[in-house]
Amino acid sequence: MELRRIEESIFKALMILSLVIVVGSLLAVIGIILWKGLPVLDIDMLTKTAQGGYYLGKGGGILNAIIGSLYLTFGGTVLAFFLSIGIAFYLQKEYSGGTRLSNITRLSLDILWGTPSIVYGAFGFTVLMYFHMRASLLAGIIVLALLELPIMTRAMEEVIKTVPIELKEVSYSLGATRLETTLRVVSKQALPGLMTGVLIAFGRGIGDAASILFTAGYTDRIPTSLFDATASLPLAIFFQLGTPLPQVQQKAYASAVILLLVILAISITTRILSKKYTKYIIK
Amino acid sequence: MSETQIEIDNVNAYYIGNHALKNISVRIPKKQITAIIGPSGCGKSTLLKCMNRLIDLTDGITYSGKILIDNEDVFDRKTDIVNIRKKMGLLAQKPIPLPMSIYDNIAYGPKIHGLSKKPDLDAIVEKYLKLVGLWEEVKDRLNSPASQLSIGQQQRLCLARGLAVEPEIILCDEPTSALDPVSSQHIEQQLLKLKKDYTIVIVTHNIHQAMRLADYVVHLYLGELVEHGPANEVFENPKEERTRAYINGTFFADFKVDSELNLKGNACPFNFVYAKQALHTMEEGKILKVIVDDPLAVTEVPRGMEADGHKILNVKQINKTDWQIVIQK
Repeated sequence: MELRRIEESIFKALMILSLVIVVGSLLAVIGIILWKGLPVLDIDMLTKTAQGGYYLGKGGGILNAIIGSLYLTFGGTVLAFFLSIGIAFYLQKEYSGGTRLSNITRLSLDILWGTPSIVYGAFGFTVLMYFHMRASLLAGIIVLALLELPIMTRAMEEVIKTVPIELKEVSYSLGATRLETTLRVVSKQALPGLMTGVLIAFGRGIGDAASILFTAGYTDRIPTSLFDATASLPLAIFFQLGTPLPQVQQKAYASAVILLLVILAISITTRILSKKYTKYIIK
Repeated sequence: MSETQIEIDNVNAYYIGNHALKNISVRIPKKQITAIIGPSGCGKSTLLKCMNRLIDLTDGITYSGKILIDNEDVFDRKTDIVNIRKKMGLLAQKPIPLPMSIYDNIAYGPKIHGLSKKPDLDAIVEKYLKLVGLWEEVKDRLNSPASQLSIGQQQRLCLARGLAVEPEIILCDEPTSALDPVSSQHIEQQLLKLKKDYTIVIVTHNIHQAMRLADYVVHLYLGELVEHGPANEVFENPKEERTRAYINGTFFADFKVDSELNLKGNACPFNFVYAKQALHTMEEGKILKVIVDDPLAVTEVPRGMEADGHKILNVKQINKTDWQIVIQK
């Protein structure tokens, strides 16, 4: 009896320890970024593009990287969304019927998910070279979409799987087709989950540096067409940290604060939007 | 016998190698209530789901045979199943509103079948909500989520939703098993009202419900069709021993009644209390026979007595209005 109680407390302690490590790391990351970044964060960083010599400690900001990152990630996420939602719906039993094709699709997605993003970058670069093209916003968007696709699809598929079969039965029994059932019932019920899937993928996309390193390039200007090269926040952080000048390195932390704020803003907006639709969900 | 609505011919179903339905052949009469009775796992729901081929959504199922509805074979791959399903409303075990507003729940069916004008939809929503007696309760909040309704209201909403596509047949899969007695009664009354216009097939493991509702009875046991026929014949004079045993309950053993209590004319909470008092004065193991005529008491008294730790030996309709409940302390 005594031994069992000791076991119980040891495991409880271990679980609390893991919790502390997780929450602690998160707080530490945010804390360090804020502590180092906030003091140097000024309005110029948000409103000005990088002037010549910015990376040598001269004036200017990283507006080019903020806008560039938003363009890249929105583009990539929208592209990935249209592909993902199709795949995720198709993986439903009524369409793919748990066939070999659906298993192969799932396996491929899992492998793609595990693929390091630098590999996507290298792949994109090779394709660009083949077509004799330069790094551009479009190429960055496509590579980011590839990077986000498996994450989004798998997240969506899991959510769609949780839609109760009875709900589908109701729709079918009223004479609805598979498409009507999917678009009008399944997607409504799964909506908050689908949004979460998009959000997770968006977060992954906006934070990724390696995949766009070769494909989107880097520039001090805000891109005006899909074929312009573009800057991005993760690469801005990378380049600022890479300089030997402490005052520029500090600006990297300020950029990290901006990146965090962008993700936070997107996340909150999505949550508010999805609230509006979740009230109809059947529990 | 009256006209046939659904002709079931030699239907076999296999569920992962398990023979779930064995050579079922039966004709379901038009504009009557047909009850499919039998213990859990006997294939009742499987048979029901075959009729609108919702069975296709079940993993590992294979079936053969013929089910003819208006001369169309439901099982034929060439048949337009969407069209067949439109002819059949479904009332499931648990009310399952669609993830939409009350209004949209009713309008969903008509909308997918091509109705899009708002006044037409409004009229349909009102008509069917009135038909199931829900209109007065919800007319001021048609746009609130259907999930906010009480479970009994939800089941009536589901019934209205099924009727709104103007089916000929209503399939009910234990439609009251998740409901409280009052809501159950409400649904039963609706079904009795609806049978003049619709063919109703109800799956139930509640024998008393079958007795109250059915005109025609189909008894399944372990996937086999044991007996079928007009309700009064099957209930009063079953041809098969298995049907007799099922109707009389599994405890159809010899028992000697020690005490009798006539509770006719009492409303529900009272016959409950009187039965309780009578049991209180009796010795352990003695048997009490209670006669009731309130339809609520038929299900509620046994349920309450069982909850008090007594044993229900038998519940049986003895004539048109009266039921006997035999309880062992």
